[in-house]
Amino acid sequence: MSAAAGPGSRRADRAVGGWLLGAVIPSLVLAAWWLAARSGSAVVPTFGEVWDVLSHPLREPPDLQSPSLAFSVAITLARFAIGFSLAVVTAVPLGIAAARSPVLERLLHPMVELARPINPVVLLPLLTVLLGLTSPATILFGQRAAWRHAVLDQMPLAMLLILWYGAFFPIYLAALYGVRSIRTSRLETLHLLGAGSLQELRWLLLPHALPAIANGMRIALGVTWLVIIAAELFPGTRSGLGYMLCTACKTSEYEYTFAAMILIGVIGLLTNGALRRFERAVGHWQAAER
Amino acid sequence: MVPILLEGVAKSFLSREGDRVVAVEDVSLAVSAGTICCLVGPTGCGKSTILRMAAGFEEPDRGRVLAPRANDGARESPVGLLTQQHTLFPWLTTLENVALPLRIRGEAAAAAHGRCRPILDSLGLGDSADRYPYELSGGMQQRAAMGRLLASSARCWLLDEPFNALDERTRQRLQDLLVELASARALAVLFVTHAIDEAVYLADRVHVLSAAPGRVVATLDLPEGRPRDRLSASFSGHLESIRRTLEEAIR
Repeated sequence: MSAAAGPGSRRADRAVGGWLLGAVIPSLVLAAWWLAARSGSAVVPTFGEVWDVLSHPLREPPDLQSPSLAFSVAITLARFAIGFSLAVVTAVPLGIAAARSPVLERLLHPMVELARPINPVVLLPLLTVLLGLTSPATILFGQRAAWRHAVLDQMPLAMLLILWYGAFFPIYLAALYGVRSIRTSRLETLHLLGAGSLQELRWLLLPHALPAIANGMRIALGVTWLVIIAAELFPGTRSGLGYMLCTACKTSEYEYTFAAMILIGVIGLLTNGALRRFERAVGHWQAAER
Repeated sequence: MVPILLEGVAKSFLSREGDRVVAVEDVSLAVSAGTICCLVGPTGCGKSTILRMAAGFEEPDRGRVLAPRANDGARESPVGLLTQQHTLFPWLTTLENVALPLRIRGEAAAAAHGRCRPILDSLGLGDSADRYPYELSGGMQQRAAMGRLLASSARCWLLDEPFNALDERTRQRLQDLLVELASARALAVLFVTHAIDEAVYLADRVHVLSAAPGRVVATLDLPEGRPRDRLSASFSGHLESIRRTLEEAIR
Protein backbone atom coordinates (compact mmCIF):
# COMPACT_ATOMS: atom_id res chain seq x y z
CA MET A 1 0.00 0.00 0.00
CA SER A 2 1.22 3.53 0.72
CA ALA A 3 3.38 5.12 3.44
CA ALA A 4 1.43 3.32 6.17
CA ALA A 5 3.08 0.01 5.23
CA GLY A 6 6.49 1.16 6.51
CA PRO A 7 8.99 -0.61 8.75
CA GLY A 8 6.65 -0.24 11.76
CA SER A 9 3.95 -2.37 10.28
CA ARG A 10 6.53 -4.85 9.08
CA ARG A 11 7.73 -5.17 12.67
CA ALA A 12 4.12 -5.70 13.77
CA ASP A 13 3.75 -8.38 11.07
CA ARG A 14 6.81 -10.13 12.42
CA ALA A 15 5.46 -9.97 15.99
CA VAL A 16 2.16 -11.51 14.88
CA GLY A 17 4.08 -14.11 12.88
CA GLY A 18 6.17 -15.03 15.92
CA TRP A 19 3.08 -15.28 18.06
CA LEU A 20 1.35 -17.54 15.54
CA LEU A 21 4.42 -19.76 15.32
CA GLY A 22 4.50 -20.04 19.11
CA ALA A 23 0.84 -21.09 19.13
CA VAL A 24 1.36 -24.08 16.80
CA ILE A 25 2.45 -26.69 19.32
CA PRO A 26 -0.02 -25.70 22.09
CA SER A 27 -2.78 -25.95 19.45
CA LEU A 28 -1.62 -29.44 18.51
CA VAL A 29 -1.64 -30.45 22.17
CA LEU A 30 -5.18 -29.11 22.55
CA ALA A 31 -6.25 -30.92 19.40
CA ALA A 32 -4.81 -34.19 20.69
CA TRP A 33 -6.60 -33.67 23.99
CA TRP A 34 -9.86 -32.98 22.16
CA LEU A 35 -9.51 -36.08 19.99
CA ALA A 36 -8.64 -38.24 22.99
CA ALA A 37 -11.67 -36.95 24.91
CA ARG A 38 -13.95 -37.54 21.86
CA SER A 39 -12.78 -41.10 21.43
CA GLY A 40 -14.38 -41.83 24.78
CA SER A 41 -11.21 -42.23 26.87
CA ALA A 42 -11.91 -43.02 30.51
CA VAL A 43 -8.96 -40.91 31.64
CA VAL A 44 -9.05 -37.80 29.47
CA PRO A 45 -11.90 -35.46 30.44
CA THR A 46 -13.63 -33.13 27.95
CA PHE A 47 -12.87 -29.39 27.74
CA GLY A 48 -16.27 -28.74 29.26
CA GLU A 49 -15.63 -30.86 32.36
CA VAL A 50 -12.30 -29.16 33.04
CA TRP A 51 -13.78 -25.74 32.39
CA ASP A 52 -16.52 -26.54 34.89
CA VAL A 53 -13.85 -27.16 37.55
CA LEU A 54 -11.84 -24.06 36.65
CA SER A 55 -14.86 -21.77 36.57
CA HIS A 56 -16.06 -22.82 40.06
CA PRO A 57 -12.89 -22.34 42.10
CA LEU A 58 -14.69 -21.99 45.44
CA ARG A 59 -16.70 -25.21 45.15
CA GLU A 60 -15.69 -28.01 47.51
CA PRO A 61 -15.05 -30.98 45.20
CA PRO A 62 -18.01 -33.29 45.89
CA ASP A 63 -16.24 -36.62 45.29
CA LEU A 64 -12.77 -35.63 46.32
CA GLN A 65 -11.02 -35.48 49.71
CA SER A 66 -9.59 -32.06 48.99
CA PRO A 67 -10.35 -28.43 49.80
CA SER A 68 -11.63 -26.17 47.01
CA LEU A 69 -9.51 -25.33 43.99
CA ALA A 70 -9.06 -21.72 45.16
CA PHE A 71 -7.88 -22.86 48.62
CA SER A 72 -5.51 -25.37 47.00
CA VAL A 73 -3.97 -22.66 44.82
CA ALA A 74 -3.74 -20.26 47.77
CA ILE A 75 -2.08 -22.77 50.09
CA THR A 76 0.42 -23.86 47.43
CA LEU A 77 1.26 -20.22 46.65
CA ALA A 78 1.61 -19.42 50.35
CA ARG A 79 4.07 -22.31 50.94
CA PHE A 80 5.92 -21.32 47.83
CA ALA A 81 6.11 -17.65 48.86
CA ILE A 82 7.35 -18.44 52.37
CA GLY A 83 10.01 -20.92 51.24
CA PHE A 84 11.17 -18.67 48.43
CA SER A 85 11.29 -15.54 50.59
CA LEU A 86 13.28 -17.37 53.28
CA ALA A 87 15.78 -18.31 50.59
CA VAL A 88 16.04 -14.73 49.31
CA VAL A 89 16.60 -13.18 52.73
CA THR A 90 19.26 -15.74 53.65
CA ALA A 91 21.01 -16.31 50.32
CA VAL A 92 21.45 -12.67 49.25
CA PRO A 93 23.25 -11.45 52.41
CA LEU A 94 25.32 -14.64 52.64
CA GLY A 95 26.30 -14.48 48.97
CA ILE A 96 27.34 -10.84 49.24
CA ALA A 97 29.23 -11.48 52.48
CA ALA A 98 31.00 -14.49 50.98
CA ALA A 99 32.04 -12.45 47.95
CA ARG A 100 33.67 -9.87 50.25
CA SER A 101 35.19 -12.34 52.73
CA PRO A 102 37.48 -15.08 51.41
CA VAL A 103 37.36 -16.82 54.81
CA LEU A 104 33.57 -17.11 54.76
CA GLU A 105 33.62 -18.22 51.13
CA ARG A 106 36.17 -20.96 51.91
CA LEU A 107 34.05 -22.03 54.86
CA LEU A 108 30.85 -22.33 52.82
CA HIS A 109 32.21 -23.55 49.49
CA PRO A 110 32.58 -27.31 50.17
CA MET A 111 29.16 -27.55 51.78
CA VAL A 112 27.53 -25.59 48.96
CA GLU A 113 29.11 -27.76 46.26
CA LEU A 114 28.21 -30.94 48.14
CA ALA A 115 24.63 -29.99 48.91
CA ARG A 116 23.74 -28.27 45.65
CA PRO A 117 23.34 -31.37 43.46
CA ILE A 118 21.01 -33.08 45.95
CA ASN A 119 17.43 -32.92 44.75
CA PRO A 120 15.54 -31.22 47.57
CA VAL A 121 12.56 -33.57 47.19
CA VAL A 122 14.66 -36.56 48.33
CA LEU A 123 15.21 -34.79 51.64
CA LEU A 124 11.49 -34.62 52.33
CA PRO A 125 10.92 -38.15 53.74
CA LEU A 126 13.88 -37.78 56.09
CA LEU A 127 12.84 -34.30 57.21
CA THR A 128 9.26 -35.48 57.72
CA VAL A 129 10.54 -38.23 60.01
CA LEU A 130 12.73 -35.74 61.88
CA LEU A 131 10.24 -32.92 62.19
CA GLY A 132 6.97 -34.84 62.11
CA LEU A 133 4.06 -32.57 61.41
CA THR A 134 5.70 -29.58 63.05
CA SER A 135 4.27 -26.43 61.50
CA PRO A 136 4.17 -22.76 62.47
CA ALA A 137 0.79 -23.56 64.07
CA THR A 138 2.19 -26.31 66.33
CA ILE A 139 5.10 -24.06 67.29
CA LEU A 140 2.92 -21.03 68.04
CA PHE A 141 -0.18 -22.66 69.51
CA GLY A 142 0.94 -26.16 70.59
CA GLN A 143 0.18 -29.61 69.15
CA ARG A 144 -3.39 -29.77 70.46
CA ALA A 145 -4.65 -26.40 69.26
CA ALA A 146 -2.82 -26.40 65.95
CA TRP A 147 -5.75 -27.75 63.91
CA ARG A 148 -7.74 -24.59 64.68
CA HIS A 149 -5.29 -22.56 62.58
CA ALA A 150 -5.92 -24.32 59.30
CA VAL A 151 -3.61 -22.27 57.07
CA LEU A 152 -0.62 -22.23 59.42
CA ASP A 153 -1.14 -25.90 60.19
CA GLN A 154 -0.90 -26.67 56.47
CA MET A 155 2.67 -25.34 56.34
CA PRO A 156 4.77 -28.30 57.51
CA LEU A 157 8.26 -27.14 58.41
CA ALA A 158 9.75 -30.04 56.49
CA MET A 159 8.13 -28.74 53.31
CA LEU A 160 9.18 -25.13 53.89
CA LEU A 161 12.73 -26.29 54.53
CA ILE A 162 13.06 -28.14 51.23
CA LEU A 163 11.60 -25.16 49.38
CA TRP A 164 14.23 -22.98 51.03
CA TYR A 165 16.84 -25.59 50.13
CA GLY A 166 15.83 -25.65 46.48
CA ALA A 167 15.85 -21.88 46.10
CA PHE A 168 18.90 -21.07 48.24
CA PHE A 169 21.76 -22.21 45.99
CA PRO A 170 20.91 -20.44 42.72
CA ILE A 171 20.35 -17.17 44.60
CA TYR A 172 23.45 -17.56 46.79
CA LEU A 173 25.69 -18.25 43.80
CA ALA A 174 24.16 -15.38 41.81
CA ALA A 175 24.81 -12.91 44.64
CA LEU A 176 28.34 -14.28 45.09
CA TYR A 177 29.31 -13.92 41.42
CA GLY A 178 27.34 -10.71 41.00
CA VAL A 179 29.45 -9.00 43.66
CA ARG A 180 32.66 -10.72 42.69
CA SER A 181 32.51 -9.36 39.15
CA ILE A 182 32.70 -5.76 40.38
CA ARG A 183 35.70 -3.92 38.96
CA THR A 184 38.30 -2.83 41.51
CA SER A 185 38.26 0.66 40.00
CA ARG A 186 34.63 1.10 41.10
CA LEU A 187 35.54 0.20 44.69
CA GLU A 188 38.49 2.59 44.51
CA THR A 189 36.22 5.41 43.35
CA LEU A 190 33.97 4.83 46.37
CA HIS A 191 36.89 4.60 48.80
CA LEU A 192 38.28 7.94 47.61
CA LEU A 193 34.85 9.41 48.31
CA GLY A 194 35.11 8.09 51.87
CA ALA A 195 32.39 5.43 51.61
CA GLY A 196 32.10 2.97 54.52
CA SER A 197 30.96 -0.61 54.11
CA LEU A 198 27.24 0.19 54.38
CA GLN A 199 27.56 2.85 51.72
CA GLU A 200 29.57 0.42 49.60
CA LEU A 201 26.63 -1.96 49.84
CA ARG A 202 24.09 0.75 49.04
CA TRP A 203 25.89 2.42 46.13
CA LEU A 204 27.91 -0.36 44.55
CA LEU A 205 27.48 -3.97 45.72
CA LEU A 206 23.68 -4.18 45.62
CA PRO A 207 23.04 -2.21 42.41
CA HIS A 208 25.83 -4.04 40.62
CA ALA A 209 24.77 -7.50 41.78
CA LEU A 210 21.02 -6.97 41.46
CA PRO A 211 20.66 -8.07 37.80
CA ALA A 212 22.58 -11.28 38.59
CA ILE A 213 20.51 -11.82 41.76
CA ALA A 214 17.29 -11.32 39.78
CA ASN A 215 18.48 -13.93 37.31
CA GLY A 216 19.33 -16.31 40.16
CA MET A 217 15.89 -15.69 41.64
CA ARG A 218 14.25 -16.60 38.34
CA ILE A 219 16.18 -19.88 38.20
CA ALA A 220 15.34 -20.52 41.86
CA LEU A 221 11.70 -19.81 41.15
CA GLY A 222 11.59 -22.54 38.52
CA VAL A 223 13.22 -25.01 40.92
CA THR A 224 10.95 -24.09 43.84
CA TRP A 225 7.82 -24.41 41.73
CA LEU A 226 8.83 -27.93 40.67
CA VAL A 227 9.73 -28.83 44.26
CA ILE A 228 6.51 -27.58 45.89
CA ILE A 229 4.26 -29.54 43.54
CA ALA A 230 6.38 -32.67 43.98
CA ALA A 231 6.43 -32.22 47.76
CA GLU A 232 2.65 -32.00 47.87
CA LEU A 233 2.40 -35.44 46.25
CA PHE A 234 3.97 -37.01 49.35
CA PRO A 235 1.87 -38.53 52.12
CA GLY A 236 1.28 -36.28 55.10
CA THR A 237 -0.14 -33.41 53.08
CA ARG A 238 -3.86 -32.71 53.00
CA SER A 239 -4.02 -29.70 50.70
CA GLY A 240 -2.40 -27.90 47.78
CA LEU A 241 -2.42 -28.17 44.01
CA GLY A 242 -0.07 -31.15 44.00
CA TYR A 243 -2.19 -32.94 46.58
CA MET A 244 -5.38 -32.24 44.60
CA LEU A 245 -3.80 -33.48 41.38
CA CYS A 246 -2.59 -36.69 43.00
CA THR A 247 -5.76 -37.44 44.96
CA ALA A 248 -7.92 -36.81 41.91
CA CYS A 249 -5.85 -39.32 39.96
CA LYS A 250 -6.30 -41.95 42.68
CA THR A 251 -10.05 -41.51 42.70
CA SER A 252 -10.38 -41.15 38.91
CA GLU A 253 -11.63 -37.53 39.07
CA TYR A 254 -9.41 -36.66 36.15
CA GLU A 255 -11.00 -33.27 35.43
CA TYR A 256 -9.40 -32.06 38.70
CA THR A 257 -6.03 -33.47 37.68
CA PHE A 258 -6.23 -31.61 34.39
CA ALA A 259 -7.41 -28.38 36.00
CA ALA A 260 -4.54 -28.53 38.52
CA MET A 261 -1.99 -29.22 35.77
CA ILE A 262 -3.24 -26.25 33.75
CA LEU A 263 -3.02 -23.95 36.77
CA ILE A 264 0.48 -25.18 37.62
CA GLY A 265 1.60 -24.30 34.10
CA VAL A 266 -0.12 -20.92 34.04
CA ILE A 267 1.18 -19.84 37.47
CA GLY A 268 4.70 -20.94 36.53
CA LEU A 269 4.45 -18.94 33.32
CA LEU A 270 3.16 -15.81 35.05
CA THR A 271 5.70 -15.80 37.91
CA ASN A 272 8.53 -16.42 35.47
CA GLY A 273 7.31 -13.54 33.30
CA ALA A 274 7.06 -11.20 36.28
CA LEU A 275 10.62 -11.98 37.39
CA ARG A 276 11.89 -11.63 33.84
CA ARG A 277 10.47 -8.10 33.75
CA PHE A 278 12.09 -7.35 37.11
CA GLU A 279 15.38 -8.71 35.78
CA ARG A 280 15.18 -6.43 32.74
CA ALA A 281 14.25 -3.38 34.83
CA VAL A 282 17.18 -3.72 37.25
CA GLY A 283 19.60 -4.68 34.49
CA HIS A 284 18.79 -1.93 32.00
CA TRP A 285 22.36 -0.65 32.13
CA GLN A 286 24.03 -4.00 31.51
CA ALA A 287 23.85 -4.18 27.73
CA ALA A 288 26.08 -1.10 27.53
CA GLU A 289 28.62 -2.63 29.95
CA ARG A 290 29.56 -5.56 27.75
CA MET B 1 52.06 24.21 50.55
CA VAL B 2 52.42 21.58 47.86
CA PRO B 3 49.30 19.41 47.42
CA ILE B 4 50.97 16.61 45.44
CA LEU B 5 54.52 15.64 46.32
CA LEU B 6 56.46 12.52 45.42
CA GLU B 7 60.05 12.22 46.63
CA GLY B 8 62.34 9.66 45.06
CA VAL B 9 59.63 7.01 44.79
CA ALA B 10 60.38 3.61 43.30
CA LYS B 11 58.10 0.66 42.73
CA SER B 12 58.63 -2.84 41.43
CA PHE B 13 56.28 -5.75 40.92
CA LEU B 14 56.70 -9.51 40.74
CA SER B 15 55.96 -10.82 37.28
CA ARG B 16 54.03 -14.04 36.80
CA GLU B 17 57.31 -15.88 36.32
CA GLY B 18 58.44 -14.57 39.71
CA ASP B 19 60.93 -12.03 38.34
CA ARG B 20 61.11 -8.60 39.90
CA VAL B 21 60.13 -5.96 37.35
CA VAL B 22 60.99 -2.36 38.18
CA ALA B 23 58.12 -0.16 37.04
CA VAL B 24 59.20 3.17 38.49
CA GLU B 25 62.73 4.13 39.48
CA ASP B 26 63.41 7.27 41.48
CA VAL B 27 60.70 9.75 40.48
CA SER B 28 60.28 13.07 42.27
CA LEU B 29 57.66 15.62 41.39
CA ALA B 30 55.63 18.37 42.96
CA VAL B 31 52.38 19.94 41.79
CA SER B 32 51.14 23.08 43.48
CA ALA B 33 47.59 24.37 43.63
CA GLY B 34 46.27 26.01 40.48
CA THR B 35 48.77 24.31 38.19
CA ILE B 36 48.75 21.38 35.78
CA CYS B 37 51.64 18.97 35.62
CA CYS B 38 51.81 16.50 32.73
CA LEU B 39 53.64 13.21 32.60
CA VAL B 40 54.50 12.05 29.11
CA GLY B 41 56.35 8.91 28.23
CA PRO B 42 56.27 5.76 26.16
CA THR B 43 53.82 2.95 26.93
CA GLY B 44 54.82 0.97 30.00
CA CYS B 45 56.92 3.72 31.57
CA GLY B 46 55.08 3.44 34.88
CA LYS B 47 52.87 6.52 34.43
CA SER B 48 49.81 4.80 35.84
CA THR B 49 51.84 3.33 38.72
CA ILE B 50 52.93 6.86 39.64
CA LEU B 51 49.29 7.98 39.70
CA ARG B 52 48.27 4.99 41.78
CA MET B 53 50.99 5.78 44.31
CA ALA B 54 49.89 9.43 44.42
CA ALA B 55 46.31 8.24 45.04
CA GLY B 56 47.48 6.00 47.87
CA PHE B 57 46.44 2.74 46.19
CA GLU B 58 50.05 1.53 45.99
CA GLU B 59 52.83 1.94 48.55
CA PRO B 60 56.21 2.91 47.07
CA ASP B 61 59.10 0.51 47.80
CA ARG B 62 61.39 3.49 48.34
CA GLY B 63 60.89 7.22 48.71
CA ARG B 64 57.73 8.81 50.03
CA VAL B 65 54.44 10.20 48.90
CA LEU B 66 53.36 13.21 50.86
CA ALA B 67 49.69 12.43 50.88
CA PRO B 68 47.48 15.48 50.93
CA ARG B 69 45.40 15.48 54.09
CA ALA B 70 41.64 15.75 54.27
CA ASN B 71 40.34 18.63 56.37
CA ASP B 72 38.38 18.18 59.60
CA GLY B 73 39.23 14.49 59.85
CA ALA B 74 36.84 13.76 56.97
CA ARG B 75 37.12 10.30 55.51
CA GLU B 76 36.75 11.65 52.00
CA SER B 77 40.08 11.83 50.23
CA PRO B 78 41.30 15.16 48.88
CA VAL B 79 42.48 13.15 45.88
CA GLY B 80 40.17 12.58 42.93
CA LEU B 81 40.90 10.07 40.21
CA LEU B 82 39.68 10.05 36.63
CA THR B 83 40.93 7.32 34.32
CA GLN B 84 39.39 5.21 31.62
CA GLN B 85 38.34 2.79 34.38
CA HIS B 86 37.34 5.20 37.12
CA THR B 87 34.22 6.26 35.33
CA LEU B 88 30.54 6.80 36.07
CA PHE B 89 28.33 4.17 37.70
CA PRO B 90 26.08 2.89 34.90
CA TRP B 91 23.05 2.29 37.14
CA LEU B 92 22.89 5.93 38.28
CA THR B 93 21.68 8.85 36.18
CA THR B 94 24.05 11.67 35.31
CA LEU B 95 22.73 13.79 38.17
CA GLU B 96 22.91 10.90 40.65
CA ASN B 97 26.48 10.19 39.58
CA VAL B 98 27.56 13.79 40.07
CA ALA B 99 25.74 13.98 43.41
CA LEU B 100 27.34 10.73 44.67
CA PRO B 101 30.07 12.46 46.76
CA LEU B 102 27.40 14.48 48.60
CA ARG B 103 25.16 11.44 49.11
CA ILE B 104 28.08 9.51 50.59
CA ARG B 105 28.72 12.44 52.93
CA GLY B 106 25.15 11.84 54.12
CA GLU B 107 23.19 14.55 52.34
CA ALA B 108 19.58 13.78 51.45
CA ALA B 109 18.83 13.15 47.78
CA ALA B 110 16.81 16.33 47.22
CA ALA B 111 19.41 18.64 48.75
CA ALA B 112 22.33 16.93 47.03
CA HIS B 113 20.61 16.98 43.65
CA GLY B 114 19.68 20.64 44.10
CA ARG B 115 23.30 21.53 44.79
CA CYS B 116 24.58 19.54 41.83
CA ARG B 117 22.27 20.91 39.15
CA PRO B 118 24.36 24.10 38.78
CA ILE B 119 27.46 21.93 38.28
CA LEU B 120 25.70 20.07 35.48
CA ASP B 121 24.54 23.35 33.95
CA SER B 122 28.06 24.77 34.06
CA LEU B 123 29.31 21.68 32.23
CA GLY B 124 26.57 21.94 29.62
CA LEU B 125 24.90 18.77 30.88
CA GLY B 126 21.72 20.38 32.24
CA ASP B 127 19.50 18.59 29.73
CA SER B 128 21.11 15.21 30.41
CA ALA B 129 20.58 15.17 34.18
CA ASP B 130 18.15 12.26 34.09
CA ARG B 131 19.85 10.24 31.42
CA TYR B 132 22.01 7.21 32.12
CA PRO B 133 25.71 7.17 31.18
CA TYR B 134 25.11 4.76 28.30
CA GLU B 135 22.77 7.34 26.79
CA LEU B 136 25.55 9.96 26.70
CA SER B 137 28.37 10.45 24.21
CA GLY B 138 31.94 9.72 25.33
CA GLY B 139 32.68 13.43 25.79
CA MET B 140 29.56 13.98 27.88
CA GLN B 141 30.48 10.97 30.05
CA GLN B 142 33.93 12.39 30.77
CA ARG B 143 32.43 15.82 31.48
CA ALA B 144 30.00 14.20 33.93
CA ALA B 145 32.90 12.35 35.57
CA MET B 146 34.63 15.73 35.99
CA GLY B 147 31.38 16.99 37.49
CA ARG B 148 31.61 14.21 40.09
CA LEU B 149 35.15 15.39 40.94
CA LEU B 150 33.85 18.96 41.21
CA ALA B 151 31.10 17.89 43.60
CA SER B 152 33.64 16.02 45.74
CA SER B 153 36.04 17.86 47.98
CA ALA B 154 39.01 16.61 45.94
CA ARG B 155 41.44 19.41 45.16
CA CYS B 156 44.17 17.17 43.79
CA TRP B 157 43.08 15.67 40.52
CA LEU B 158 44.89 12.67 39.10
CA LEU B 159 43.93 12.12 35.48
CA ASP B 160 45.13 9.17 33.41
CA GLU B 161 44.60 9.73 29.70
CA PRO B 162 41.02 10.80 30.33
CA PHE B 163 40.39 12.28 26.88
CA ASN B 164 41.92 9.48 24.85
CA ALA B 165 38.79 7.95 23.42
CA LEU B 166 37.36 11.30 22.30
CA ASP B 167 37.34 13.00 18.92
CA GLU B 168 39.68 15.94 18.39
CA ARG B 169 37.10 18.72 18.80
CA THR B 170 35.59 17.31 21.99
CA ARG B 171 39.05 16.66 23.36
CA GLN B 172 40.06 20.31 22.80
CA ARG B 173 36.92 21.59 24.48
CA LEU B 174 37.54 19.41 27.51
CA GLN B 175 41.17 20.52 27.64
CA ASP B 176 39.98 24.16 27.76
CA LEU B 177 37.51 23.23 30.50
CA LEU B 178 40.27 21.59 32.55
CA VAL B 179 42.58 24.60 32.21
CA GLU B 180 39.77 26.87 33.33
CA LEU B 181 38.80 24.69 36.30
CA ALA B 182 42.39 24.27 37.47
CA SER B 183 42.93 28.00 37.84
CA ALA B 184 39.39 28.91 38.96
CA ARG B 185 39.33 26.28 41.71
CA ALA B 186 43.04 26.17 42.56
CA LEU B 187 43.28 22.50 41.65
CA ALA B 188 46.56 20.64 41.62
CA VAL B 189 46.32 18.49 38.49
CA LEU B 190 48.63 15.60 37.66
CA PHE B 191 47.82 14.59 34.10
CA VAL B 192 49.17 11.49 32.39
CA THR B 193 49.14 11.42 28.62
CA HIS B 194 51.08 10.04 25.71
CA ALA B 195 49.95 12.86 23.41
CA ILE B 196 52.73 15.46 23.42
CA ASP B 197 50.55 18.23 21.98
CA GLU B 198 48.04 17.68 24.78
CA ALA B 199 50.82 18.06 27.35
CA VAL B 200 52.17 21.25 25.74
CA TYR B 201 48.67 22.72 25.56
CA LEU B 202 47.70 21.92 29.16
CA ALA B 203 50.77 21.89 31.32
CA ASP B 204 52.62 24.42 33.41
CA ARG B 205 55.30 21.78 33.72
CA VAL B 206 55.97 18.63 31.69
CA HIS B 207 57.98 15.68 32.98
CA VAL B 208 59.27 13.34 30.30
CA LEU B 209 59.66 9.76 31.48
CA SER B 210 61.95 7.10 30.06
CA ALA B 211 60.83 3.65 28.97
CA ALA B 212 60.63 1.03 31.76
CA PRO B 213 61.84 1.46 34.40
CA GLY B 214 60.28 4.92 34.52
CA ARG B 215 62.59 7.80 35.42
CA VAL B 216 62.20 11.50 34.78
CA VAL B 217 64.65 12.24 31.97
CA ALA B 218 63.65 15.85 31.32
CA THR B 219 61.53 18.53 32.87
CA LEU B 220 60.16 21.43 30.90
CA ASP B 221 58.52 24.56 32.32
CA LEU B 222 56.06 26.27 30.01
CA PRO B 223 55.75 29.92 30.96
CA GLU B 224 53.26 30.90 28.23
CA GLY B 225 49.92 32.34 29.26
CA ARG B 226 46.57 30.86 28.28
CA PRO B 227 44.79 30.08 26.09
CA ARG B 228 47.76 28.78 24.19
CA ASP B 229 48.05 29.10 20.45
CA ARG B 230 48.63 25.65 18.95
CA LEU B 231 49.94 27.27 15.78
CA SER B 232 52.53 29.54 17.42
CA ALA B 233 56.26 29.05 16.94
CA SER B 234 56.94 28.52 20.64
CA PHE B 235 54.23 25.81 20.79
CA SER B 236 55.84 23.81 18.01
CA GLY B 237 59.24 24.50 19.56
CA HIS B 238 58.19 22.86 22.83
CA LEU B 239 56.53 20.04 20.92
CA GLU B 240 59.74 19.39 19.00
CA SER B 241 62.02 19.46 22.03
CA ILE B 242 59.81 17.02 23.97
CA ARG B 243 59.58 14.74 20.96
CA ARG B 244 63.36 14.70 20.66
CA THR B 245 63.80 13.97 24.36
CA LEU B 246 61.33 11.12 24.11
CA GLU B 247 63.09 9.66 21.07
CA GLU B 248 66.35 9.63 23.01
CA ALA B 249 64.66 8.15 26.07
CA ILE B 250 63.24 5.28 24.04
CA ARG B 251 66.56 4.63 22.36
